[in-house]
Amino acid sequence: MVQRDGQPHINRKLFDFIEVLRDAGIIISADEVIALFNAVPEIDVSDKDIFKQSLKTTLVKDYTDIPVFNRCFDQFFSGRERFFDGMDLSSLSGLRDGVPAETIEDMNDMLDKFLDSLDPAFLMEKSEEEIMRMFLDELPEGSSGGGGGMNIFRSRSGTAGSFQSKGEDGETAEVDIEAMMDLLRNMMNLRLSKRKIGKELKNREDFLLNKFIYQLTPDEIREMREMVNRFGQKLKSRISLRKKRVKRGGIDTKRTFRTNLQYGGVPFKLFYKNKKIDRPQLVVMCDVSRSVNQYSRFMLLLTYSLQSLFSKVRTFAFISNMVEITDLFREMDPERAINSMFTDVNFTYGWGSNYGRCFDQFIENYSDSLTRKTSVLVLGDARNNDNDPGIQSFRKIQERSRNLFWLNPDKKHLWDWNDSIASLYGSCCNEMKEVNNFLDLSEFIDKLFLDI
Amino acid sequence: MFKSVEEAIKELEKQRYIASKDIATTVYLALRLEKPVLVEGPAGVGKTELAKCIASALNIELIRMQCYEGLDEAKALYEWEYAKQLLYTQILKDKLSEVMGSETTLSGAVDRLSSAEDVFFSEKFLIPRPILKSITKNERTVLLIDEIDKSDSEFEAFLLEVLSDFQVTIPEIGTFKTDVKPFVILTSNSAREMSDALKRRCLHLYIDYPTIELEEKIVSLKVPESGERLIRQVVEAIHRIRQLQLKKEPSISETLDWAKALVLLGYEDLDPKIAVETLNFILKYEKDIELALKHSKDIFLN
Repeated sequence: MVQRDGQPHINRKLFDFIEVLRDAGIIISADEVIALFNAVPEIDVSDKDIFKQSLKTTLVKDYTDIPVFNRCFDQFFSGRERFFDGMDLSSLSGLRDGVPAETIEDMNDMLDKFLDSLDPAFLMEKSEEEIMRMFLDELPEGSSGGGGGMNIFRSRSGTAGSFQSKGEDGETAEVDIEAMMDLLRNMMNLRLSKRKIGKELKNREDFLLNKFIYQLTPDEIREMREMVNRFGQKLKSRISLRKKRVKRGGIDTKRTFRTNLQYGGVPFKLFYKNKKIDRPQLVVMCDVSRSVNQYSRFMLLLTYSLQSLFSKVRTFAFISNMVEITDLFREMDPERAINSMFTDVNFTYGWGSNYGRCFDQFIENYSDSLTRKTSVLVLGDARNNDNDPGIQSFRKIQERSRNLFWLNPDKKHLWDWNDSIASLYGSCCNEMKEVNNFLDLSEFIDKLFLDI
Repeated sequence: MFKSVEEAIKELEKQRYIASKDIATTVYLALRLEKPVLVEGPAGVGKTELAKCIASALNIELIRMQCYEGLDEAKALYEWEYAKQLLYTQILKDKLSEVMGSETTLSGAVDRLSSAEDVFFSEKFLIPRPILKSITKNERTVLLIDEIDKSDSEFEAFLLEVLSDFQVTIPEIGTFKTDVKPFVILTSNSAREMSDALKRRCLHLYIDYPTIELEEKIVSLKVPESGERLIRQVVEAIHRIRQLQLKKEPSISETLDWAKALVLLGYEDLDPKIAVETLNFILKYEKDIELALKHSKDIFLN
């Protein structure tokens, strides 16, 4: 069962892979690395499933990281078949027959060793062609490297003449060289790109998180769904850890006395009051008109993945009518709820957003949702289409709630431009904030909990 | 002790537990490396069951500790048996005054008493709770710490000593160590995230819903009276239902309930009409049922 040969080779691969995972943003400590190297001798590394699970079980401790791990693993340990990517296989057939499999392995190993001997920063600077030439120059002169395949290379880097004497049939050998060069180039590319897997994943993620939400394409949104979940989950655990720390309160006199009666009133056992965690209540009002629809969608998704942190969440959507949509979320998966919101509920009255009218309606119909524990979030671009701003009602909302935040997807220099009355509303809020990518959004929520 | 991953799968199957290769690999490694395992996953995929079956497969005792909010070390590690201590001092009153009799000064009496106080803080007056039990027992046990996410983070902190060194320190007596490390399994429904320190000490296993083949195997093992045809139809339908955007996805236990119910009702075939009528066995929310009904054509198309 235990397979110990070829260990150093595997070890080097594993270290490379750990680097890739770290690049992708998975935190791996020394403990985990040690566990992995203890585990490897115990398993049959030739079984890919077992190998993969062993890596996963020892290295990845956060299940939200599993999809990232899977992607890295599949790319990093993808088979050797990719050496032949984009090559004309017919030119290879002769080569495959003529060159024993171990030659390809040998070549691969040599390439590995060569790349390892180089400084990573140096590798980044040089083009692939340059590295390739260096590799060919460094090929050992002796015959230790392997069979015929190596000779072909040496002759290539040397003179054509010396090669001619070796080949039996000049023409086919010529094809072989080109094929071998392609093969080698593929090996090199694969090797070099593998080192970048983690960074590329991370870059892609950063790119999406920082992109303007309303510029995301439908494909990108689908791609982000899993990311939003992961993010929400992480945010949630971070916040709940923070909350837990301040749980203990003073001595619970009643309970302490009662329990200690059995010991003749001597307070042997002390009981503490558990401080009630003051979970905030949240009221979210989303403008769902076309200009900010995408944005509200994201905000709603994130709010609902964090729902358990709030004691009560009430959600309202509006364009020119204020409609409560809390119930939709109670019974449905958030994404489905958001979709059905757009089909079921009719918010439109007249044309375009009418903030003033909606705030009036809110005060009239839903002011019971405001208490001194309530934080109110308004999402929208404050483009009121020159309607009455309803500032009286908006002030009332502020007076009756604990704090009032406005998240505005518009760039700050566009506030008050055209029909936007951002500053007017902003002056009544605790804060109006420009939030237009996912990262800012989650940062805002993080802060929201610090203030409460 | 399992000799290989394959043997782990086989032995667990004998205990009527179908383990995927992933599960078996982690269990095998954890036993080999003597490391605890943190098992996460949605409710009802058999996390607790896994611990039970490992114990019976290895033929060792299972010590189970259910976590809840407010669980403290008195409930998890050990507790001094206060009443017994009090009782003994009362009964031994005479003996005590005999011992103290010759002392004339107060400080002399205190000195003498303190030299004997160890008697009252010895193992005799200690109630071992699950964790201490698993450590003081000089044979291998499976220690199941169930739903660790329900406990407080302080509790997690003193679990750390147990998980890394397999020892428990009792200030009055000293440190209990064990030569035979218990096999620790922690389960979590991810209500909150565990601290990094805890995770670092454990291997991590995420159990997801099983694949179709695996789930078919599970159903045929647990509800053997249902025919092969019915099993396949049920499992396939369940897998299609899980694809929908549901508030609560049906877990394995719901699949089993459904299969059992269909057998009891005397059906050998899952025709769409029956399926729709019995949807409430697997879906627990009205809106989820509505959604499934809307898609019933695709789901129950056999």
